[in-house]
Amino acid sequence: MKNVRIWFKKDRECRYISHLDLNRCMLRALHKSKIPIWYTEGFNRHPFATFPLPLSLGFRGENECMDVKLEDDNYSFEEIIIKLNKCLPKGIRVFNVTEPVMKAGKIAFADFTIRLTSDTANTTRIVSALKELLSRDTIELEKKSKKGMRTVDIKPGIKSFEIEEKFDFVSLHVILSAGSSDNINPNLLITALEKYCNIVCNAEITRNDLYNSDMELFR
Amino acid sequence: MISKDVEKLLLKVQKPGRYVGGEMNEVIKDKRNVDTRFAFCFPDTYEVGMSHLGMKILYSLFNSVDYIWCERVFAPWVDMEEEMIKHNIPLYALESGDPVSEFDFIGFTLQYELSYTNMLNMLKLSGVPIKSCDRTELKNIVVAGGPCTCNPEPIADFVDLFFIGEGEEVDLEVIDLFRDCRKNNCSKQEFLEKCAHIEGVYVPSLYEVEYNESGTIKSFTPKGDAPKVIHKRLMKNMDESYYPDNFVVPNIEIIHDRAVQEIFRGCIRGCRFCQAGFIYRPVREKSPETIDAQCHTLCENTGYDEVSLSSLSSSDYSQIVPLLDRLSNWSKDENISISLPSLRVDGFTDEIMDKIKTVRRSGLTFAPEAGSQRMRDVINKNVKEEELLNTCATAFEGGWNTVKLYFMIGLPTETLDDVAAIAKLGQAVVDTYYKCPTRKKGKSVRVTVSASSFVPKPFTPFQWEPQDTIDTIHNKQQHIKDSITTKKIQFNYHDADTSLLEAVFARGDRRLCKVLERACEKGFHFDGWNECFSLEKWIDIFEECGIDPAFYANRRRSFDEILPWDHIDYGVTKDYLITECKKAYESQTTPHCRLKCNNCGAAKYGEGVCFEKRKNLV
Repeated sequence: MKNVRIWFKKDRECRYISHLDLNRCMLRALHKSKIPIWYTEGFNRHPFATFPLPLSLGFRGENECMDVKLEDDNYSFEEIIIKLNKCLPKGIRVFNVTEPVMKAGKIAFADFTIRLTSDTANTTRIVSALKELLSRDTIELEKKSKKGMRTVDIKPGIKSFEIEEKFDFVSLHVILSAGSSDNINPNLLITALEKYCNIVCNAEITRNDLYNSDMELFR
Repeated sequence: MISKDVEKLLLKVQKPGRYVGGEMNEVIKDKRNVDTRFAFCFPDTYEVGMSHLGMKILYSLFNSVDYIWCERVFAPWVDMEEEMIKHNIPLYALESGDPVSEFDFIGFTLQYELSYTNMLNMLKLSGVPIKSCDRTELKNIVVAGGPCTCNPEPIADFVDLFFIGEGEEVDLEVIDLFRDCRKNNCSKQEFLEKCAHIEGVYVPSLYEVEYNESGTIKSFTPKGDAPKVIHKRLMKNMDESYYPDNFVVPNIEIIHDRAVQEIFRGCIRGCRFCQAGFIYRPVREKSPETIDAQCHTLCENTGYDEVSLSSLSSSDYSQIVPLLDRLSNWSKDENISISLPSLRVDGFTDEIMDKIKTVRRSGLTFAPEAGSQRMRDVINKNVKEEELLNTCATAFEGGWNTVKLYFMIGLPTETLDDVAAIAKLGQAVVDTYYKCPTRKKGKSVRVTVSASSFVPKPFTPFQWEPQDTIDTIHNKQQHIKDSITTKKIQFNYHDADTSLLEAVFARGDRRLCKVLERACEKGFHFDGWNECFSLEKWIDIFEECGIDPAFYANRRRSFDEILPWDHIDYGVTKDYLITECKKAYESQTTPHCRLKCNNCGAAKYGEGVCFEKRKNLV
């Protein structure tokens, strides 16, 4: 039995499916592909797969991954890519299979590219608003939690950012805390932009890469 | 294909995966290479429509023809509809993203009377005139099929032509005629007149209806040479009938998220309230070989790990045990489970239970339909209380401890005692559990009793019956509630308000078209969903149009009245239905088709159970 990490892109129509639906889609593809994956032994047997860090609905994912157990240690990784892609919708494309180097719990940061447009503000205005927002000492937002609403400061979770003004949109590149403990959803930045700068933006969000706490690429 | 305009809306609505397509096995064609485009519209949400087998069959069938491109269209949920209207985006088909108004055919499948408003709303959202007479060109031909079309009259003003019966062959004949007519520059009127001569096609605009002062129908007359009677179409040989080897596999979870394998059409039983039991006669089975092969291919191609064997009454399949054996040859090794819905109380044998035990153990559901034996005889259910209790005992011994029981209230001749018997039967099932020696100690039983309200339907022996008024139904619901004395029984009941509307449209005539037209203008939609349905609003429209819903729902019709659907022939004769109705009043049962032929009329098709050798004759 060998642990393998399957790397894929989530794009096009598949951006609009939830993590739960992605999970179902993947299990069905694994089942259909007949790759020798380890199945759970319970009453409802199904291929066993885990996702190191789920992606929010609506986001594009450039380097997403899923962990499975391979029953045949010598099974070709190339074969997995070919077979799985035949069983997946076009919006999900597997491009690599590796042996995991880091445990899922090591994920500490994720970087995102956010394409911002607004019906009410031009790009110059968005850029200045972003600069103003991101230079604040605290960015406090109301967040729903199990104990009701509470205020969180997302500022410490923003590791770095870069703003680029393009012809008809603004591109924000940002590295945020990620993982099971201090996860910052980039949508919060859009909410903050509205709260602090009064700009309603449309955001097209892409998650590019995941990192560990030393900013090494998650592998 | 999602357009940029639609993409902007997607993150503002719930479940955007409904509106994007892009699933495994969707059919994408180059529109330059096809000459006929068919928008297959399901008048409900994506999750409901994608679960429907008929749509899967016809989608694959149409797309197997190279000059046709059939695409899927579903009713956008209210949040998406609002956004689409706000941003001026017309209803579009999932595959190409093209507006529905660009399609040659706009086809609807009508499964449920309360989806009529969705059909009209979808036309409205497409920017296509809802009335047939306002669509004058030979394009946007609005067609409809499905069980509701056995009484097409309430929607006669909107639909250009109806498919009566099973669609596999007749749909393609109509499409071919359309292509011919287009080539020869025929008008829409000429096309429709020619269509009326294809067996199984009903063109409502070619008929005239006159009414008596009492409101009943005086006459129904064809214009020109349209046929007097429209005969249903049916597939004679199920083994040779088209069946898809692939389904579009949704990316989001739908209601029935599994492969579905049809095993036979029709039903031998003839329960007197059940429309499906009459309009799909005669029973025609697929052979175990065909089912096995089709099932296996479907699982391979879709990747589903569950396949459900579909029919009106699975345990009535004549070779059910050999079939299950055959399927288990591969299903187990491939981690695929087989599920058998629609099991009859008397069909749940030890043997079948063992075979489906490998399947995930969800609850068991049975439909005794009525509480007292007298009532079950009236509806010809042919199930004894003892059989139900034995079956439940078998299930409890097999480890189940939840059972769902379906009942109907408001059946013809029903009294409050019959209604109380529903609670008693539930109690008897609870008692059976505690008598079961092998039950797990400390584990309780849960019996769910669901009561829906009876809706009299066309082409059943009860088609002349009045529906109980809403007050009577409420009384009966309360009476069951009061008669239940244990917490082990959970009682659910169906909203009486929607049942009334269902009854009006099920047996309505053409005068209801203006009611629906008005409802569409007022923006009615999703009337089958509690969050959208309001009887008060409907009553307002009925009043506005001068129509009394009780005339359609709560009036007893006489056997010699001309019924709105009398010009349609589903094989079963009116005389037979009258005989059955009279037998019901005398609580007399009728044996099922395999025991005895009762001469219902369906034998004229020359196929199916009518020509099987009966065991007792050998």
